[in-house]
Order: sequence, then C-alpha cells, then structure tokens
Amino acid sequence: MKTFKKIAALAVAAALPLSVAVAAPAAHAASTTITYGLWDSNQLPGYQKCATAFTKKTGINVKITQAGWDDYWKSVNAGFLSGKGYDVFTSHLAFFPDFVANKQILPLDSFIKKDKVAVNTMYQPGLASLWKAPDKHQYGLPKDFDTIALFVNKKMADAGGYTAADLANLTWNPTTGGTYEKFIAHMTIDKNGVRGDEKGFDKTKVATYGIWMEGSGGGDGQTQWSFLAASDGWKVNDGPWNTNYHYDSPKLAETIKWWHSLSDKGYMPTFAQQNGVGWPDQLAAGKVAIASNGSWMTGYVNGLKNDKFELELAPTPVGPTGKRASMYNGLADNISAATKHPQEAWQWVKYLGSAACQDVIAGQAVVFPAIPEATAKAVKAMNAKGIDVSAFYTHIQNKTTFLFPIANKKTQINTIISPVMDGIMSGTKDVSALAAANAQIKALFK
Amino acid sequence: MNLLHPIESEEMSDLAVPKRKKRKGDFWIAVPFMLPALLGLGVFVLAPGIRGIILSFANYNVFTGQADFTGFANYIRMFQDVRFLNSFLVTMEYVLINIGIQTIASLFIAVLLHRFTKSHVIKGVVLLPYLISNVIVAMVWYWLMDYNLGFINSILDALSFHKFTFFSEQTAMPSIALINVWRHMGYTALLIFAGMQAIPKDVYEAASIDGASEWRIFRSVTLPLLRPVLAFVLVITVTGSFQIFDTIAVTTKGGPVMATDTFSIWIAREAWGNNDFGYASAISVFLMVLLSVIAFAQTKIMSANQSDLDR
Amino acid sequence: MSSNTENQLDDPQFRMSLRARIFGWIALGILCVITLFPIYWMLRTSLSTTRLLFENPTSILPSHFTWGGFERVLGLASEQQAIAEGGSGASINFGQAFINSVLVSTIITVCQVSFSAAAAYAFSVLKWKGRDVVFFIFVIALTVPGIFLLIPNFLFIRDLGLLNTLAGVMLPQLLMSPFAIFFLRQFFLGTNLSIVEAAVIDGANHFKIFWRIVAPLAMPQIVTLGILQFITSWNDYLWPFYVGSGDPSSTVLTVALGVFKAQTPQGSPDWAGLMAGALIAALPMVLLMIFFGRRIVGSIQASGVK
Repeated sequence: MKTFKKIAALAVAAALPLSVAVAAPAAHAASTTITYGLWDSNQLPGYQKCATAFTKKTGINVKITQAGWDDYWKSVNAGFLSGKGYDVFTSHLAFFPDFVANKQILPLDSFIKKDKVAVNTMYQPGLASLWKAPDKHQYGLPKDFDTIALFVNKKMADAGGYTAADLANLTWNPTTGGTYEKFIAHMTIDKNGVRGDEKGFDKTKVATYGIWMEGSGGGDGQTQWSFLAASDGWKVNDGPWNTNYHYDSPKLAETIKWWHSLSDKGYMPTFAQQNGVGWPDQLAAGKVAIASNGSWMTGYVNGLKNDKFELELAPTPVGPTGKRASMYNGLADNISAATKHPQEAWQWVKYLGSAACQDVIAGQAVVFPAIPEATAKAVKAMNAKGIDVSAFYTHIQNKTTFLFPIANKKTQINTIISPVMDGIMSGTKDVSALAAANAQIKALFK
Repeated sequence: MNLLHPIESEEMSDLAVPKRKKRKGDFWIAVPFMLPALLGLGVFVLAPGIRGIILSFANYNVFTGQADFTGFANYIRMFQDVRFLNSFLVTMEYVLINIGIQTIASLFIAVLLHRFTKSHVIKGVVLLPYLISNVIVAMVWYWLMDYNLGFINSILDALSFHKFTFFSEQTAMPSIALINVWRHMGYTALLIFAGMQAIPKDVYEAASIDGASEWRIFRSVTLPLLRPVLAFVLVITVTGSFQIFDTIAVTTKGGPVMATDTFSIWIAREAWGNNDFGYASAISVFLMVLLSVIAFAQTKIMSANQSDLDR
Repeated sequence: MSSNTENQLDDPQFRMSLRARIFGWIALGILCVITLFPIYWMLRTSLSTTRLLFENPTSILPSHFTWGGFERVLGLASEQQAIAEGGSGASINFGQAFINSVLVSTIITVCQVSFSAAAAYAFSVLKWKGRDVVFFIFVIALTVPGIFLLIPNFLFIRDLGLLNTLAGVMLPQLLMSPFAIFFLRQFFLGTNLSIVEAAVIDGANHFKIFWRIVAPLAMPQIVTLGILQFITSWNDYLWPFYVGSGDPSSTVLTVALGVFKAQTPQGSPDWAGLMAGALIAALPMVLLMIFFGRRIVGSIQASGVK
C-alpha cells in the first residue's frame, strides 16, 4: 500500500507541471505514445475511433493492440513480468483481485479526485463498486456491462408456435419447471419428429435439443444457471468480496437438480455430449433451439444467420421470487503499475470512461456502455441493426440484476467447486456434494 | 548392446584390448566439442532447473518476486492433494494407451516402408500429420469427434448407428491419446525406419530362402535387431508422452471432471492460474524424478535383453 | 550393400506371399485414408465460409466455397469482407511473420544440429572417464517440463534485454537439443573406429576427423534430424509468443496466426482463416521434404556398420 501511495503521490506531483503542458495542446509537446490492449476484435473499430478523437484532443498517441482472449491474458501477464506490457488494458473481474493482490495496477483515487470524475453517480448503478477493492481504492472506471438472456432460434420458436410475447412471459420454478421447461421440452424434437412434451418422445434419439448445456458453469454459472438460482432467491455470498459463501443453500441445490434433470429428460445434451464444438455453432447448425448467454455474444450470433437459424432474444424467466434475474458484469480498464506514463494513461482511462468515447462505442452496437445515456444510444443502434435487445435491457430497467461474484482466492474457490459442479452435471455426484464444497471454501478464509 | 552403448562394432572392442592410449586422454579433446552444448544445457536448462528446484521449497509469487521458504510444505501438500493421485492415474492412462498404440502402429508403418514400398511419396504422406502444429491437430480432431456436429458422428448417425461420445469422462483420455497417435505415428515410424536401414540385407535373404513368412521374418529377424533403436525411441516417446499438454489445453482443458488433468496441465494451472510457482515447481520436480527413474529403468531393461541380439 | 535400398519386391528372392501382399496394400490404403482425411478436412474448411461452416455436418465439400480464408491469412482481405464471412477482422503481417519464422527455424536448425553433432561425437567416438554420466545428464534434460523452464528463461532473456528480438526467440534452442544429441550419438556409435584410429595415427586432429570422416558418413541421419528439428522449431508456439509477440519484427508465423483463434472466451476460431494459415505454414516444410527427401533415411544406408 505504501508503494502505491508513493506512486500516486509521485503521479500527482508529476501531474502538476504535466497538466500545464497538456492544457496547451499540440504546439511543441513531444507526443507520448501509450499502449492499450483489448481482446474483442469486434470492439476494435470503435476504440480505434475513440483513440483518434482522443489524440486530436490531447495530443497523446494511443497504440491499440488486440489479441484473442487466451493470448490476450498471456500477453498481459508477460507484460507484468517483462515490465514492458500495456500501459492501459481492458481488465476483467475474474482477474482483478489478483492484479490488486500482486500490486500490478494503479489505484485511481487521486486522479479521480483531482479531475472530479463523478465515478459513483455517472455510471449504471453498482458497476463502479465492482472495481473498488477491499483496500477501498478505486481501480477502474466502468466502461461497459453485460447481462444474460436466452438466445433462441426464431425459426424453431415460430415452428413451435411461440410468439415473441410468449417468450417474454416465461416462468420457472424448480419443481415443475414452469412454462420455461415446457418451452424447452416443446423445442426438443426427436428423430421421428416427436416433440419433448408430446407422447412417444424418445429421449435416446434426440435430433434437436431444446436447450444447450455450456459446461457446468463452475462456481459462478454466469450464463448457465445463475439467473435461475437468483430468481429463486439464492445469493452466492453476502456481497462483493464477502467470504460467507452459500453454496450449501437448498435453493441452489434444487436449481442445479432441476437443471440437471433436463439432461435426463433428453431436452439438454449430457455433460459428455456437449464437450466439443461451442454453443453458437450448435445453435447456427440447428442442433439446439435455445442457449442462455451474455450480451457480448449478440453481434456474433446474429451474424450466423442462415436458412436454419435466425436469432431471437428472450429475457430470462421469472422465478419463484416473482422476478427475473440476470448476472451483471462490468468491464473496466486498468492502468499497469509499471507504466512510464501514468498521467497520459489516466487521461486515456478518463476518456474511455467519458460520454465522448462511450457514445462512439454505443454507435458500434456491439456492447452496452456503462453511462446510462450511452446505454440507451446503444440499444437504439442495435435496434437499427435489427436486433431487439430489450431482453438484455429489461434487467437494467427493472433493476433485476445481481453483481458478478467478485472475491479473493477465486482460483482456489474454483478448484474446489468446479469439479463438484462438473461431477453433478455429469451424473457422478449428487447435489449434496455442494454442502461439503461450501465448507471447504469457507475454510479457505479462516 | 544396450541403450548407452547401442552399437559396439567389433572394431571398437578389438581396439579396446591392445591400445595403450589412456582413456582419459580424450577428455580435453572432448571439451571443445561439448562446449556449446554444455553452455546451452547449463544456461537454459540447469540454471533455471536448479532455481526451480530451490523455489519448490518456497511460496513464490513470480510477479512480486517474493519467496517465503516453507521447507517441504509444498511436497507434503502435493502428496495429500486429491489431484495428485488423479494426475498420476490419468497421465499413466494416457501414456499406456498412447505409447502402446503408437509403438505398434509405427512399427507396422516402418515395416511397410521397409519391406513393402520404397515410395518417397508414402514416406511424405506418413510424415504429413507431424508437419501440422499440435494445436491445430487437436482443434481439427476435436471438431471431427464432436458429438453433434463432428463428421464421424454425423456419418454414424446417417448410417443409423449409435453416436459415440468421444469426450465423456471415460473416453476423453483415450480420445486424446488417439489424436496424438495420429500425429506422431509417422514421425516415430521414420525414426524406427532409420534404424532398420542398419539391418544387413543378407539376413533377410537367408530368411527368405528358408521360406519364412513376413510375420516370422518380422518377429525373428527385424524385431530383435531393432531393439537398440526401439529402446531409444521408447525413451524419447515415453518421456514426451508424460508431458502431454498442448492437445489437452486446447480441447478438454483438464476436464471433464479432471479426467484429462495430467501433470503438465496441473503444473501450468498452478503456475499461471493460481500464481503458485513454488507448488508448480514441486510437482515439476516430482515429474522429473519420476521420468528420470523410468528412463533409467528402460535403459536397464533394454540392456538385459542383449542375449537376443547375438545370433 | 546398396541393394538395401532397392525395392525388395523387384528382387525375386523376396517374393512375398500373395496373402502378405494383399494385406500390405490394404494396410497401406487404410493408413493413407486415416492420415490424409483430416488434412483434406483442413483443406475443405480453409475453402469454406467460416460463418456458414456448420450448415451441413456430413458434407465433405467446402461449405460455400470461397478463397476468403487464404485472403485473410495473406492480408489481402478488407475488414468488411472478413467480418461478412464470419472471419476475424484483425490484421496479420504475413510476409514479415513468414520471414521471421524462416530465419528463426533455419538458424536454430543449423546451429543446434551442428553443436549437437559435435557433442554427440564427444559422447561416442571419443572415450573419456565420466562420458556416460555427462551424457545421462543430457537425457535428464529431456524430462524437464517446459513450463518449469519457461518463466525463469523468460526472465533471463528479459534481463539480457533481448525481449521482442529474434535473438531472444532463438537463444534457448540455439546451442543444443537433448533429443538431437541422443539421436546422433546413436548413429555415431556405429562408426568404424579403425578409420578413426588410422586418421589419428596419420596425425589428423579430431576436429578434422569429425568434419571430414564421421559426419559425412552420418549425413543421412543428420539431414533427417535437421528436417525434424526444423519442423519442431517451426511449429513452436509458447516460447516465441512470450518472447516475441510484442513486436512485428520478432513475431513468428505460429504466433501471427493466433489472430484466427477464438477472440472471445466462447467464440469460435475463424476456422477458414486458421486452416488456411495452418496449410500455408506447412508448405515450407513440405518443400523441404521434397527437396531433401532423397537424403532422408531410406535411400542411403546407415553409416559404417559393416
């Protein structure tokens, strides 16, 4: 912490003369170049536009590098080791706690205070708190968020007699499965053309699955089951960074049990059968009718349109609590602690977190920016592209979101809970194993 | 003949007796020959290796550079870890299936190349899989073997057979093993083929005159004379096999439910995912010791079969 | 002894039974199908439109034939074209990455094989106390897991200031390979020592003997090894990624083709681009094999054994 205060103090001290130089743009300031990293190639054009506008405004050059997910994190880590990594990089909550623990990123508090950034009010509620570590420092400005919805094959829904209105009114409970399970069953078709909810359905000869299983979801189940468990009233713990875990809750047990039953009934592929080609391709090939997933996949899946598949989005079902639910994840950019240009890096981060850039990103119709006005613009842009994203947006409007579970020791937690979840979904373990796993997890924090 | 002294021609043993030249004399001649290799070994293998061994006795955070020495804690933890037994078993499963099938397949291919056809095209075809990178091979096969969209199952389905799950808990490791057999059997066959070139033609002539069948020739002539080459090939392939990583990292990633969680996968996860380089080092040290013991045992066993070779 | 290399079927003495011959042909056929089908599949995929790839899982023809994959690999496709086909819009500097790979692999192969051959000579033809112990240490080097060495070597290269340089990418492999030493020692041990002794008596030093007598006799094995090591180096990914991916001047082909891998955690790779890239990447090695093919084990017998 002391080193941080020192760096922050130095940064501020350096900022004073520098801010004078920056305030007098263009002229004769030797232009610095900072490096920026991101992984989603779909977002690259938007950020390139932001960078060009930023350079015009401040004279600071931004060199953007994009690398696919796996390679991206490898290069981020390699950058920490070599000291020559990105100055600013798109970060993710899954790795954020480690970055803080290893002192690899700069806290932004002094910058925020000095430039009077309204971090707690200008973004969608809750997002900023995700990027505040237990040490009470703010490490990122929210830049976009995502929620979960059902990706449905419109052609199959239409053929099954489900209108958009029907899809928007699905209900679920862990005992009977509600109209959600009926929908899934109806979308399942066996080789003889018999639907899953009709007599004579042969679950050993399924031609089209109702819904896809995308792995077991491990401890989060972000796209797989979190929305169901939450709509049943389950919470993984008592808040961000909290260590009182509730994997032993009977609500989770009944949710997972129900979810697994879909495999037994033939509506969902078994754990072994879904290992391989991913869900977007299965959806596009007509092998499955529904897949629950996140808004970041919208553009890509929409582009897979062919004569067998057309994308339709449906909101997650209403659960026993009477409400829907969706996990709510927010991305932010972090500044590397090894950067040689903290001031310039902060300028870029501030710009990324400002309406100027987020409006540009909104126009690209790829993700939902974190500033509410920009979010609305993005929704409009996506509608203009022919994608109705109200299924994602409803959670913002109706405040039915719950935060991505952020915690310390996430990898160790995953080491404990993932095999248990995998085992349950593959049928080798029973949901009662969750209680034992929870005890082990709690023991990590004693 | 044994692995460390595979082909001692008569000349060498003849010379051994009458020469008065001191054996040690060659040492100083050998030094410049070995120097670059020793430098490479020392700098890029021994130095980091020893550093890693030392760190296995600590909790080491590679990013902060901090190391707290904990004695044998990492090793004790490893032996008590449920993943240890799991890794050991699944790695052994992989090695046995992979090496078993691959050795037989490559022997067969080598015999085909040696006795049946001299075509360079066939040799090229056989080596083609090795030219494609490990990662791409894994991705292509992962797709071909997919339950729903893979070509293999689609054909089975079209022919009204039952589809086969190639990546269930029970079948994942054998599937991975077969993917690697596909990639390496040609390469291994060429190594064995190289060794077959050393077998004199008159031995085959004699066997043929005696009216021996191909199988008999293989069993009684080729195989015994191949023993030193086979020994070499086996040390290389077994050692490599135990370290299987790329194929799994790109497909099953250790799943389903730890069914493909081999030593290397586990080590990589501890080193990068958990940022626990000390623990990862301890597991690596175990693996190295295990492999060295196996390599040593292999060479001993192979030399025990010397008697077959002199006919 | 040249008849080892002739097609033994031509030699009437090696008449195989009809049964054996039929078996051989069937086996050869199956082998070719198993070996070539996945490679055909790669070709078929490289000529397909990524977006529509899974339309017909039983079709063995390209799905919506297009040269798009190859265009993207060679950097000839526009961003719109790429995205329209479902491919990656990211750019790739193919030419430079290709040249880098050629440089790295060629230099590594030449140096590594030469130095390894020299070491193999020391472990076989030369005799000295402790020879086999030192050799066994090299064998142990084979057992060290790659990840174990990756981080320390990365830090070492960083400290030398060679990050993002081709030199840094080449360095660990440059001086030796335990496999290469093991392999060559195997064949050097078969050397006819009387020739060596004769040369020593004539006053030749061992360097000359190595260079002019022993190595040339083992040339087919050395060439084979060279090709195998070239292939291994060409396909190496992890180390060149960590050390070289930060700068186009030090990015090799395998790393550059990474743009075709999945961009998002659940996304699919740009299959057409990836397959096209893999096939193009394999071409130099195919050429290498055609060029050196005659020299690979098969045409020339093993060295020196009587």
